[in-house]
Amino acid sequence: MKLDFFRKIGFGLAPDEEIPSDPIAWAERQVEKPAKLTWPGQIPSEQELLDHRAEFVYQDRKVIREKFKNDRKAYEEAKTQLRYKTGERYFPSLETVIRHHAAVKGEAPVFERLWHFWCNHFAISEKDMLDRWNTGGYQREIIRPNMCGNFTDLVKKVTVSWTMIHHLDNTQSVGPNSKWGQNRRKRGEPATVNENHARELLELHTVSPAAGYTQQDVINLAYIMAGWENKWSKKREECNPVDFNAKKHEPGTHEVLGKGYKQRGISSKTKLFDAIEDLCAHPSTRRFIGWKLVRHFVTDDPTDEMIAPLIKAWDETDGDLPSVYKALIKVVYDHTGSHKKFLNPEVWLLQCVRISGTNWPPSPEVMAYDFKSKPRQEARQPSIIMRELGHNLLAPAQPNGWPDTEAEWLSPELLIRRLAASSKFTNDRKYSVFVDYHKVAEKNFDAMDDIKYFLHKAKNVDFYSNPKRMGQALFSSEWMLKV
Amino acid sequence: MTISRRHFISGMGSLTLLGSPLFNARAASMKKKNFVVVMLRGGMDGLTAIQPNDSKMQKVRPDILVKGVKKLNSDFNIHPRLKSFYECWQDGKASVVHATSIPYTLRSHFDGQNLMESGGHTPYTEKTGWLGRGIEVSALGGLAISLPMPLLLRGNNTLDNFFPTWMSLPNDGDLSVIQSSYSEGSALAEVMNRVRSRPVSMMQRNGDNKAHELAVVAAQELRREDGPRVAVFDIGGFDTHAAQGGEDGAHGECLADFDKVLSTLRHGLGDQFDQTLIVTLTEFGRKVEQNGGYGTEHGYGTAVLMAGGLLKSPQVYADWPGLATKNLFERQDLNATTDARSVYCSAMSACFDIDFKTMQDKAFFGDPLKDLTDQLFKV
Repeated sequence: MKLDFFRKIGFGLAPDEEIPSDPIAWAERQVEKPAKLTWPGQIPSEQELLDHRAEFVYQDRKVIREKFKNDRKAYEEAKTQLRYKTGERYFPSLETVIRHHAAVKGEAPVFERLWHFWCNHFAISEKDMLDRWNTGGYQREIIRPNMCGNFTDLVKKVTVSWTMIHHLDNTQSVGPNSKWGQNRRKRGEPATVNENHARELLELHTVSPAAGYTQQDVINLAYIMAGWENKWSKKREECNPVDFNAKKHEPGTHEVLGKGYKQRGISSKTKLFDAIEDLCAHPSTRRFIGWKLVRHFVTDDPTDEMIAPLIKAWDETDGDLPSVYKALIKVVYDHTGSHKKFLNPEVWLLQCVRISGTNWPPSPEVMAYDFKSKPRQEARQPSIIMRELGHNLLAPAQPNGWPDTEAEWLSPELLIRRLAASSKFTNDRKYSVFVDYHKVAEKNFDAMDDIKYFLHKAKNVDFYSNPKRMGQALFSSEWMLKV
Repeated sequence: MTISRRHFISGMGSLTLLGSPLFNARAASMKKKNFVVVMLRGGMDGLTAIQPNDSKMQKVRPDILVKGVKKLNSDFNIHPRLKSFYECWQDGKASVVHATSIPYTLRSHFDGQNLMESGGHTPYTEKTGWLGRGIEVSALGGLAISLPMPLLLRGNNTLDNFFPTWMSLPNDGDLSVIQSSYSEGSALAEVMNRVRSRPVSMMQRNGDNKAHELAVVAAQELRREDGPRVAVFDIGGFDTHAAQGGEDGAHGECLADFDKVLSTLRHGLGDQFDQTLIVTLTEFGRKVEQNGGYGTEHGYGTAVLMAGGLLKSPQVYADWPGLATKNLFERQDLNATTDARSVYCSAMSACFDIDFKTMQDKAFFGDPLKDLTDQLFKV
């Protein structure tokens, strides 16, 4: 039995969880269809959150700025009240709680790890307050339900999602020869496409730079995408459903990676989907995704041999994701013990919580919010903790998401934060629980004998033997940081 | 959009300080000079910061052209939000290198930022940064004080980073037991050694860790004769595809963020500002023509802003390619006629007292760079 496998592919086994007798079958069962979220409290819909954003941006940009233009103090107070009313300070923490609850209490930890992976692959970076209302809902409603089908369908959903379009500026794109473009140019105004979304669709989401596309390919894909926008209205600004605006679309046939895309039927909107299908079927895409999956779960330096089974599964099923996940699961199992991965702060924290039964995340009672005042410290704690760990989940700095290698996650300051969090989660009465660490070791670690000896040392580090020190030491140990 | 972008920027600040000469013989025998790199992420628009006097600007940027600029010389004007920078200029302590860039033309932020830090040619191939290698060859290793260690500084295994937290650390006895689980000689064990040798004073947190707040700490540390010699700041938000604006637009706000760091450093360093060189670093410039959203797209050529007493004289150093369409890179961007790495190599050579050739070989792979030390810096 490889006990480390349950942490390499999931979050480890909880105190009340049996050791599965067939680990591979246990893991495979979890990736066939999307798991339900387990959070017993309120889960706001993407639309509800977009309504909150709409209220905020309209009031902020159009109403209170005008109303209080001569009274800075009153303006600031009005804005603070607006933040409370729209949950601006609250939702990021709630999203963290929803995510953490599924990871530590749910019965599909392997699925949850994969969800985290895709959220980071199709990352929404810290931009224009997307983390306050939009990124979480997008992850729950666009990514999560679509990650156990075909990769192509997932990419289509993500590409024309409100959040990704706003994140990568596609609304700004105007085809130079589109109706709008022509009118603008007549008035002497510039009309050009915004290449941002097209570039990331190629570089980050599908084929990767290994496909050897050119700047012209990027521009041509931007032409193909022009017209996909978040509809604007006076009272909601950009906060309206995604729409294809044919008046901004660049007419004609444009080539990407050597293939031309022309209109089929009455609408030119299908051109983008045709292009996505070919990008997803490109050999570079399966290689890129396979490499990224193996790098996330197995090792910072994946070999061709490790990636090959994933590519094969993709070849045989035309990108059926559960088949790729099952190939991944076997590769992870085979390399458990021989290859270790330095865990990112979130996975590490969630493993510490799940294997020990630590009281985290906060309960629905703690997370209750009245939308009238500043959210309580305890309710903001999930966001705060993740920020302190250097892993502010909903707001990576760049569209390429959080890094995924030891070199990028290991520094004195980041280690200090893990050490401090280990101490906090085992000493603070809000979170700590009584734990039989010997049992935890026997259930979750192949090196259980070394760990028991280590726990004994930790407990008796000075004159006063203190069992709580066992948790703090275990959480900070190499066995927990790397698996 | 402006408001939220502001928020984005202030959240992004981070600071890295390094190079305590306390344990270092070479450093102890040298006059202390400080080198500060401010990374401007997202693609800083050199044409907005330092505007050429060219009627084409009005034509291609009718809605985002900055008014109220101040004159630097007959050919260039400066953005009004670069207030402290302009004061430095008037005091003879600021210069600009224009029409410059790192040798990267493919317009991707991630690849571009990777290369601006690594100093190489192929993204994600170098695991170390040009500044890290420069420090290594200078033998100025020692204490470093940021949350993630920027790639720019990697390459020197004696580095440390600093970005204080409010949580408290287990005591050293506990840390010693924890360390006993770390494989001997591993990166993890190495980092733990550095954590455990950290003075208590570095475990305290004041303020919000914003770039200009960290600049207060940076100035205090850099000012100390036995303090660090290198600091790295990280400011984001320059990727203004929309609402780039004129004086009060998003790009102006970003430049003001940089300017605030500069003024804090100048004030805090006092006399030491004369022994200091501050340079900016960005992944690329922005297209000459504005886009439909009153912003600009990813481009190529940009400017490097420099401040400090180690500069020779206030000047805009440029082999100016002009803005006529035929002179633009791919007919759309300001061309880069100076490899920005020549500036950085010369700057490290001047600040670390290492000859240019050695620095070129060790920090920039012996690439054909131009020695600009005599033109730009006091040696």
